[in-house]
Amino acid sequence: MINNLALGLSHGLMILAAFLLLRRPDLDREPGPHDAADTRPGRTRTPPGA
Amino acid sequence: MRDLAFIAFLLAFFAMGFKRPFLLVLAYLYIDIVSPQRLTYLLLNTVPISLIAFALAVGGWILKEDKRDTRVGARQVLIVLLMLYCWLTTINADFPAEALEKWDWVWKALIFAAFLPLTLRTRLRIEALLLFMILSASSIIIIGGIKTIASGGGGYGTLNLMVDNNSGLYEGSTISAVAIAIIPVIIWFMSYGTIFKPDWRVKTYCIALVFACLLIPVGTSTRTGLLCIGLLAVLSIRAVKRKIPYLIMLGVLGLAAVPFLPSTFTNRMNTIKTYDADSSALTRLAVWQWTIGYAETHPFGGGFNAYLGNHIRFDVKSAGDDPGSRVSVDQGRAYHSAYFEMLGEQGYVGLALWLAINVIGIVRMEILRRRYCDPDGDFAWAGPLAAALQTGHLVYLLGATFIAIAFQPFIYMLIGAQIGLDTYLTRKRGEVSFRSMRRTPSAVPHPASA
Repeated sequence: MINNLALGLSHGLMILAAFLLLRRPDLDREPGPHDAADTRPGRTRTPPGA
Repeated sequence: MRDLAFIAFLLAFFAMGFKRPFLLVLAYLYIDIVSPQRLTYLLLNTVPISLIAFALAVGGWILKEDKRDTRVGARQVLIVLLMLYCWLTTINADFPAEALEKWDWVWKALIFAAFLPLTLRTRLRIEALLLFMILSASSIIIIGGIKTIASGGGGYGTLNLMVDNNSGLYEGSTISAVAIAIIPVIIWFMSYGTIFKPDWRVKTYCIALVFACLLIPVGTSTRTGLLCIGLLAVLSIRAVKRKIPYLIMLGVLGLAAVPFLPSTFTNRMNTIKTYDADSSALTRLAVWQWTIGYAETHPFGGGFNAYLGNHIRFDVKSAGDDPGSRVSVDQGRAYHSAYFEMLGEQGYVGLALWLAINVIGIVRMEILRRRYCDPDGDFAWAGPLAAALQTGHLVYLLGATFIAIAFQPFIYMLIGAQIGLDTYLTRKRGEVSFRSMRRTPSAVPHPASA
């Protein structure tokens, strides 16, 4: 019972985190020096605090 | 039922990984820490999921990742050198079959540690790596915490952490040291996390998890865990502004906790003072002495599990008023210390490489901690993260004095995160300089120099 509760909680949070990561473009790419001023659609900017 | 849940979880994870290959790296990390194949009875334990995940993670990186700004840190080279050296000692080992058994998992931990920083190209990836390390470890820590409260302390070696064979993170002393080592990183998430924004829910969860981490040494009654908590308390002083009230609070909390500690724990902790009447502590001292002598005749190490060849004898003082002592003999006793594990198994060369990997990590994190200490700068998150990784690493190095965890994969992931953070920040510094040259120098804030 305790085992399944702890496993469910941690695994649920991992799946949620993975899902949230899927929606974050800055997972794979942050703006580099060559496109600092690039505002074309599809280009991503660093999130607040990054 | 649990088997099906694990399979569904892994399939969902892998499916997401095909969209974002970095998730495959996280999937391997999860499998390595939690070992779901050991928690199930059917299906999963017949498939080499760890190997599949590793192949997918590396394949995903080779085929789909942008490798333009890839950097290799000096410590990655040292890790590969250590791996090659371990291979040499394995083929010349005192106990070839037993050495091969350990080599089988050590090389995977080392190669993954060398590979991991290559994938950590963005801040979010570093954060995601640490989040998955914590969540994976939490599946063991939460169970340990709840069972400790429910049973009033499990006692040494008796806290049931789901897996009976006492290996990996499921071993009592190891999970004690690791649980305390990750506390600073959990606290970092309470201020700087971006995957789960640090609102009241995240903060409550983090505090509860820290509490569960602190309960692990109580539940497993490990003396090493208590020492690690002490070191963590000392190191945390530098992170708080009002030090005197903080010290008073720590003292009050410590004293208030004593009546709630189970007697199995306090009895075991009292044996720290009477180590000369405790055969567990004396065995360690005798094995360490044996290892120093062994290294003189085998300066290049005896290969993995070389301790199997030891024969030790030591005097155990009688407990109580009786002044007499008895001689105890033993053989094939494990090192119970990562430092002596390295010295005995890999000799002076292996020990030097291992120490270099660890000490460079501590020094580099200190440099980053000081360089990015400005709370209003662009990289305000980086200094506290470097401090958290450094504190965790120091806690591990203390725990490693009494536990043979020189090759614990979890710690190599922590080292991988350190290298990733270091190379990421170096790259960002280079980019800031590049922009400064191209545009007006005042337009881009420089990170504070060390």
